Amino acid sequence: MENIFEIKNLNLFYGDKQALKNINLNIAHNAVTAFIGPSGCGKSTLLRCLNRMNDLIPDCKVEGHIEIDGEDIVNDKINVVDLRTKVGMVFQKPNPFPMSIYENVVYGLRCQNISDKKVLDEVCENSLRKAALWEEVKDRLKDNAYGLSGGQQQRLCIARAIAMEPEVILMDEPTSALDPIATAKIEELIQDLKKNYTIVIVTHSMQQAARISDDTAFFLLGEVIEKSPTKELFHIPKDKRTEDYITGRFG
Amino acid sequence: MKKRNTQDNLLKALVYAASSLSLLVLVALLSFMLQKGWGSLSLDLFTRPYWSEPISIEYPSIYPGEFESPTDLPEGAVFSEAYGFALIDSTNPKKEAVLELVYLDPNSPLNHGTNIQAGHEGEAATVVVGYWVDKIGYMNTKGVVRSSGRIVGQNAQKTIQALDQSVSLENAYVQTKGGGIVGSLLATLYLIFVSLLLALPIGISTAIYLNEYAKRNMLTSWIRSSIELLTGVPSIVFGLMGVLVLFPITALFSAQGTSILLGGLTLSVILLPIIIRTTEESLKVVPQSFRDASLSLGANQSQTLFKIVIPSAIPGILTATLLGIGRIIGESAALIYTMGTFVSDDPKLLKGATSLAVQIWSIMSGDQPNFALASAISLVILLIVLILNFSVKLLAKRFRKVW
Amino acid sequence: MRTSSPSHLKALKRKLREDALYKGLFTLSAFVSSMMIIIIIIFITLKGIRPFLPNYEFGQQNLWAFLTGMTWRQDQAVYGVAFIVINTLISGFSALLIAFPISVLTALFIVKIAPPLLSKSIETVVEILASIPSVVYGVFAAGTIVKLVQNLAMLGQIQTAGGNSLLAVILLLAIMIFPTITSLSMTAIKAVDKDLELASLALGATPTQTNFKVVLSSAKSGIFAGAILGLGRAFGEATAVGMVAGNKMFGPSFNPFDITRTLTTTLLAGLKETTGLDYDIRFSVGIVLMGVILVSNLAINAFKNRIGTIK
Repeated sequence: MENIFEIKNLNLFYGDKQALKNINLNIAHNAVTAFIGPSGCGKSTLLRCLNRMNDLIPDCKVEGHIEIDGEDIVNDKINVVDLRTKVGMVFQKPNPFPMSIYENVVYGLRCQNISDKKVLDEVCENSLRKAALWEEVKDRLKDNAYGLSGGQQQRLCIARAIAMEPEVILMDEPTSALDPIATAKIEELIQDLKKNYTIVIVTHSMQQAARISDDTAFFLLGEVIEKSPTKELFHIPKDKRTEDYITGRFG
Repeated sequence: MKKRNTQDNLLKALVYAASSLSLLVLVALLSFMLQKGWGSLSLDLFTRPYWSEPISIEYPSIYPGEFESPTDLPEGAVFSEAYGFALIDSTNPKKEAVLELVYLDPNSPLNHGTNIQAGHEGEAATVVVGYWVDKIGYMNTKGVVRSSGRIVGQNAQKTIQALDQSVSLENAYVQTKGGGIVGSLLATLYLIFVSLLLALPIGISTAIYLNEYAKRNMLTSWIRSSIELLTGVPSIVFGLMGVLVLFPITALFSAQGTSILLGGLTLSVILLPIIIRTTEESLKVVPQSFRDASLSLGANQSQTLFKIVIPSAIPGILTATLLGIGRIIGESAALIYTMGTFVSDDPKLLKGATSLAVQIWSIMSGDQPNFALASAISLVILLIVLILNFSVKLLAKRFRKVW
Repeated sequence: MRTSSPSHLKALKRKLREDALYKGLFTLSAFVSSMMIIIIIIFITLKGIRPFLPNYEFGQQNLWAFLTGMTWRQDQAVYGVAFIVINTLISGFSALLIAFPISVLTALFIVKIAPPLLSKSIETVVEILASIPSVVYGVFAAGTIVKLVQNLAMLGQIQTAGGNSLLAVILLLAIMIFPTITSLSMTAIKAVDKDLELASLALGATPTQTNFKVVLSSAKSGIFAGAILGLGRAFGEATAVGMVAGNKMFGPSFNPFDITRTLTTTLLAGLKETTGLDYDIRFSVGIVLMGVILVSNLAINAFKNRIGTIK
């Protein structure tokens, strides 16, 4: 499979204001795709379309097509709750639940009525390992998640999302609230994760996009100006506006 | 997946069921009150005294005339064509049978009698619609003076029958209709006045101290906690405190035992936390820049307070007042200890009386609880409380718009 | 500078004196306000202890008999408070047991689940219920709840004193503390971080699962604060309970259809004919009441902290 998401002619409106204009974009399978661009240009908005989290915003209208595995998640009568188990999300500010580390990780499974302790234990360990957090917390799984550092909490949120075994992990500026060392750890983790998952990451930092992504899409005023393999976009941008942005002339 | 759906729907059904319970209770309460009390609600409920007074009237031998019955008499009323009045069978608050006067022709000779009670001899007296007729003395055809009415066990029908066949009417023994709330209304007003007179200045001053002068230290937080703790004290304990601590103060004013003054003093303590909290909130909202501007113009702190800060906080203080009034009207346990439970038709500051709420308690705690009257007074209280709450909400909205 | 003339200095001095005066007044008020709770505790305690001291004018009472006695008879001057405390605890906690789930669910409904119009309506219903004075609840209970209990008892062929019973007290108290717990729970639920809800939904939980698993557990401490306040109200409610309790002279009463006596109904009973020891002993009961409220507050706080450590 080449592309996991195929976005066609997507338009999004908040009331009268159009936030996304005629988006046509493909997201590659098992790769890291970065969305970059100035603030308020629709990066997070498009990200939230991919798991239908925009449904929670009143007055939000979406037109067009987003296809995953051949299913159009915009128009077909799909089960949104189900979609979100396939497409997971990590937020900007780490937001673990006020529960133990263990309960945080297995939360999604419990919601699916999976309660076999052996299964939960196994999934918990696997997810924490994949999120590179297992060694640090294996002896205190019953401790409150709030006792972890910011970086650890974010990795916990990633583990929590991984536990659902999604095909895609969406990340909305996952390191902007973290210090450089924690950021580095998470970037390392993302490189590791892309072997098994598709990652779409919104980032404010061009350097981060350049470091970790395979493809990059540049957003400006609700449109995708350009999408190319990362090295191409940063060295030989096709559009002048892209060039202006990456050379710091605005943004 | 299906299991989760049913789980979901079960939980949702539970939530809806729980929320409808409160609506159910409110509807049940209101319909009960309306059902029992509506009949007793009338304009003169507010002006009648609670206790019925007996009146003895002598008539200068009235002779029967011819009177026409009005067309709008209530059902069950019996009209006397001879003397121009109508009686109906009714019950008093004690559930005893009484004869109520429901109509009196303006030309009826019963209008012109003389009071023969000690202390009122010779005064003009008359019967009034609403009075209960215990006895009417008449002369029968044999020239003997006989009695008719409740006192000889006659109902309305029999009484009027006897009187219409009489030769003349001689006297009447009646009772003013009781069951009114005029005394408690007045007492409640006095109570509100006394409590607010004390609680507002002390409460507002405390709020000013806390917001404008106090530093952030242990002492201040201790002061705050001790005020907050007051809200957790049951009101009956305030009653105990009142008779213990505040009674000597009322004794200085020569009050003996329970009194409106004592009740007011006690209530002002209960009101303190509410007034302090609400006033402080309204003081906080006044922008610091106002104070700074005033001080920079050479005003001292007191001037700044009285000219700028307090005026801006007036809506909040008004809210505190309304909340206080609501609390006073609803209070009962503390007043039972400090103000007494005897309904007074002529309340005096230094004597015991009942507020509206305590009157309800008094009515209900006798041997024969009078649900009709209690419900009627409850409806009055509910209406007042609802209006107060509504006004507080309105104030809060206008208050917020200003900033 | 304008401020150096002697008349100006005089005015300045006056201003400063004025400031000092007002500051003194305000501070005094604050002092008086903060002293009230101490005055209450001290005076009631002093008066309430008197009957147990040697020089008591009506005959020294036995403290142990008071604290452990299971009979309270005004006519025989026997005053035992133990069973009354048990009754108070039973009625209070039972009322809490009934009101707590209903309140929390209603709060959840108002804040999270109901559409805006319905939400505001039920919220208004709760506000109205909160503002109804206790005597009015008492009249309602004496007229309706009591009949309900009587009918229930007849189904099971149980005798009741016209419906006045422990069950009536519990139902009444549950209704009265419901608005308190609901409004505090509403505040707590409103304060839950929206991010947590988003995280839960993003993991494939339904909104209902999110509400019950995440929102309620995050609002835990505010909800428990509401429960504590509600319980305190249940223990302290006097006039309404007094109309349906029945005032049993011995106990404790575990049978829901039996009449009962609480600390507050004891304080109100026979107030019209009370004298001497019977009057003074009420202050001792007052101490016990305050003690019960304090201890139960501490107990619930400890309980809250224990279930705060996660499963």
